[in-house]
Amino acid sequence: MTMNSVVETDSAEVFVEEMEKLQEALPRRIDANPENVEKGLAKLVLTLVELIRKLLEKQAMRRVEAGSLSDDQIERVGQTLMKLENKMKELKQIFGLKDEELNLNLGPLGDLM
Amino acid sequence: MIYIYGIIDSNGQIDESVYGLEGSNVYNIPYCDIGAVVSEVNQPIRRVTESVVLEHEAVAEKLMENFTVLPVRLLTVLDKRENVLSMMDDYYGDFKDNMDRLRGKVEFGVKVIWPADKVKSRIINAYRTRNQNVHVSDDSVERKFIRDKLKEHKIDKAFKEKADRCINAIDIFLGKFAEAKKLETLRTENLLLSAVYLVRKDNQNNFKEAFEHIRTARDDLKYLFSGPWPPYHFVIVPRKSQPSGDSGHTVTADKVILQPTPMGADKA
Repeated sequence: MTMNSVVETDSAEVFVEEMEKLQEALPRRIDANPENVEKGLAKLVLTLVELIRKLLEKQAMRRVEAGSLSDDQIERVGQTLMKLENKMKELKQIFGLKDEELNLNLGPLGDLM
Repeated sequence: MIYIYGIIDSNGQIDESVYGLEGSNVYNIPYCDIGAVVSEVNQPIRRVTESVVLEHEAVAEKLMENFTVLPVRLLTVLDKRENVLSMMDDYYGDFKDNMDRLRGKVEFGVKVIWPADKVKSRIINAYRTRNQNVHVSDDSVERKFIRDKLKEHKIDKAFKEKADRCINAIDIFLGKFAEAKKLETLRTENLLLSAVYLVRKDNQNNFKEAFEHIRTARDDLKYLFSGPWPPYHFVIVPRKSQPSGDSGHTVTADKVILQPTPMGADKA
């Protein structure tokens, strides 16, 4: 480095490891080429579906926590969320995607999830 | 081809001892009372390599000693001097606004890692203790699913609240000495805080002291402190349509200013 700029840490390896995790999980571009275009598109679509699923789940949890759902409604919500989760697991398996891969870096806006 | 390092608040010549990419001569292309600091390259540089980052950064830091610098995104190449001038013409007002706002200020990066596993396991234990007398016998699969999800939700919420409290305790010290800041929380479970602070040059020592105070107060956290850097994360240029002039730009001017990149606080 020049001038007085410094990078100081007593845990360099730990930080490198965390930064690498970020780099791996959050590519700035969708990696689409003739060989993997299907997987690239699936990753994009499933990321958006996962985002919506998580939002639904959070909303449901807030309502359960607040006690605003009847027993019947809780059963139905449980069934819906279970089915959604299982379907997502199935799709992730088909396209060989891991949970941590379902995210997008939105540049200055940060990460999608 | 012309590689751009940054925009400075001077239209004069710069120190001859500044060298750019691959040892190239760095010079200033003046426009009104500002200038674009550039060097010549034979062809566009396509990949960000360690040497490109270090050489680009070295120029920006050297400029920072004597000028207000608006650092430009890595690998920004225009094909001729006229295009640089055209870009300067299009963005002159924005460059001046940024220079006025950032004059005499530098950027520091602070990253903090916390023991996420330990924090989470303490939260889980507390949850178990609170709920040890709650017995549910006649649950359907769906209700059990919801109960498990609710438990996850509560633990996750408590984890985030704990993170926010911890970050507030750090930021309350550092923020006092900063003109602006950008904080990112829990980019990974372990990476509690990833922050950049804009600090007046005459306040740098106070900022560093505040950081030292935090570092000694909380030894269960791991810290990465970096700077002073040119204010990479605090340059604001509104997106515009293509600049006027001919269309020979290899990089459009609306992408010229550096957005958060692997540099600055993301360094190391």
